[in-house]
Amino acid sequence: MTTRRTFLGASLGLGTALALPNLARGASPKVVVVGGGFGGGTAAKYVKKLMPAAEVTLVERDKQFVTCPFSNYVIGGIEKMQTITHGYDKIAKRGVKVVHDEAVGVDPTARKVTLKGGAVLDYDRLVLSPGIDFVWGGLEGYDEAAAEIMPHAWKAGPQTLLLRKQLEAMKDGGTVIIVAPDNPFRCPPGPYERAGTIAWYLKNNKPKSKILIFDPKETFSKQALFFESYENLYPGMIQWIGGKQGGKVTKVDPKSMTVEAEFGEEKGDVINVIPPQRAGKIAQVAGVSDEKGWCPIDPRTMESTRVKGIHVVGDACIAGAMPKSGTAANSQARNAAAAIAAMLEGKEPPEPAFANTCYSIVAQGYGFSVTGVYGATPEGIKEIAGGVSKLKAPPKDRDLEAAYAYDWYRGIMYDALG
Amino acid sequence: MRTQRIVPFNMALAAAAIGLAAPAAAAPTAETIARNCVVCHGPKEAGQLEIPKLANYPARKMTEMLTGFRDGQKEATIMNRIAKAFTDEQIAALAAYFANQ
Repeated sequence: MTTRRTFLGASLGLGTALALPNLARGASPKVVVVGGGFGGGTAAKYVKKLMPAAEVTLVERDKQFVTCPFSNYVIGGIEKMQTITHGYDKIAKRGVKVVHDEAVGVDPTARKVTLKGGAVLDYDRLVLSPGIDFVWGGLEGYDEAAAEIMPHAWKAGPQTLLLRKQLEAMKDGGTVIIVAPDNPFRCPPGPYERAGTIAWYLKNNKPKSKILIFDPKETFSKQALFFESYENLYPGMIQWIGGKQGGKVTKVDPKSMTVEAEFGEEKGDVINVIPPQRAGKIAQVAGVSDEKGWCPIDPRTMESTRVKGIHVVGDACIAGAMPKSGTAANSQARNAAAAIAAMLEGKEPPEPAFANTCYSIVAQGYGFSVTGVYGATPEGIKEIAGGVSKLKAPPKDRDLEAAYAYDWYRGIMYDALG
Repeated sequence: MRTQRIVPFNMALAAAAIGLAAPAAAAPTAETIARNCVVCHGPKEAGQLEIPKLANYPARKMTEMLTGFRDGQKEATIMNRIAKAFTDEQIAALAAYFANQ
């Protein structure tokens, strides 16, 4: 082991592309991936696919992956939890070693990851795809206990069901408040899609109810499309209070079910608070996150600019023009896997090509999208082309995009964990 | 054709140094680009219902489709926005890649 590490350290000094101790000596290179979501699943699967000799370990705390994409449809009663819940059996059958444990320590010099259960994993290349953590207390009054009363439902699972149950229990004529966060945050169109799927449920079951969106921002993803859809589908039901109107929430009080915004106080019957976020904790532990809580990377390889040998993909990384989305994580992870396989073989990493597609469904048969194609530049990841669906599109286009959203979901689940 | 295009950085450096069009070697390969396509278009194992599969897609037809989407001659919900990212050479390479899968 000592010999291997010494060799690795020495060759790292000559440039990462030459760091090739294991293959040269006939041993298997070791790649550890932390986090089994869209980024981590894809990274593990593709490293194994591109380099079958590599020993790939995927470390994931949970036995099942409950996806944030489509969780708004569960909240709106359009889909069931079963639709968004996936196991790790298929990726395990592809030769990825799946370990259900939590990474609690990283030693980037010795290249070791420590797990909560006590195991220590050696790596030649580490991929961190930890997603987000909430900055508890970043919004006054909102901590983990408050989240049991005012759910965030911004990590899918029990929180998704909690918000769903609260909506089911709410009286007709009730007020639902959604507190949207400032940038950057996971899933930029998510809060506004959620307003749509909740409105879908309310329109069909509790039509006297209303939805208020409190927002510190003036603009957001697919804004005109969301406003158009609210107008078409739920006239008068959804009200958006943006930054200029005093929509920034400064405090929440779970006891009185009140939110305090710059324009004044408002009581809600169901309050969904999407709190401020940063990269998942292991990013801080490994030293790859910056003072704002996110991880700078080299866009050509997704390798951390702060700690060599660690690649960061998905919501946790600073990916320039790419949003914090499942598709973005998946695309970053595929490119990272190609870079890792090349680097472990002592080759130049290939030029990456990134893409993102995010569908939003605001009612059954009513979807629209944002998409982008991106390239790596010295200033970070830049958009080459892209945009949002057309305004005033015919209903058949909205219906088709809703169907495409389901196909996208099937496709990305297959690409990441299938 | 597009007037503005982002050039990957080693291409940009090389192009600036020699004052020529960027060398093709530094651009993403068709396979790298194509891996983004299959997230929505899928291999058949993924089980998509509406979005067409691309494996063994006739090259001539794919070139016609992508060029049409890019240049605004073919209607689409989303491919018109995506196709604007690609040069004629990249479209030809993608078409050849999928046709031979």
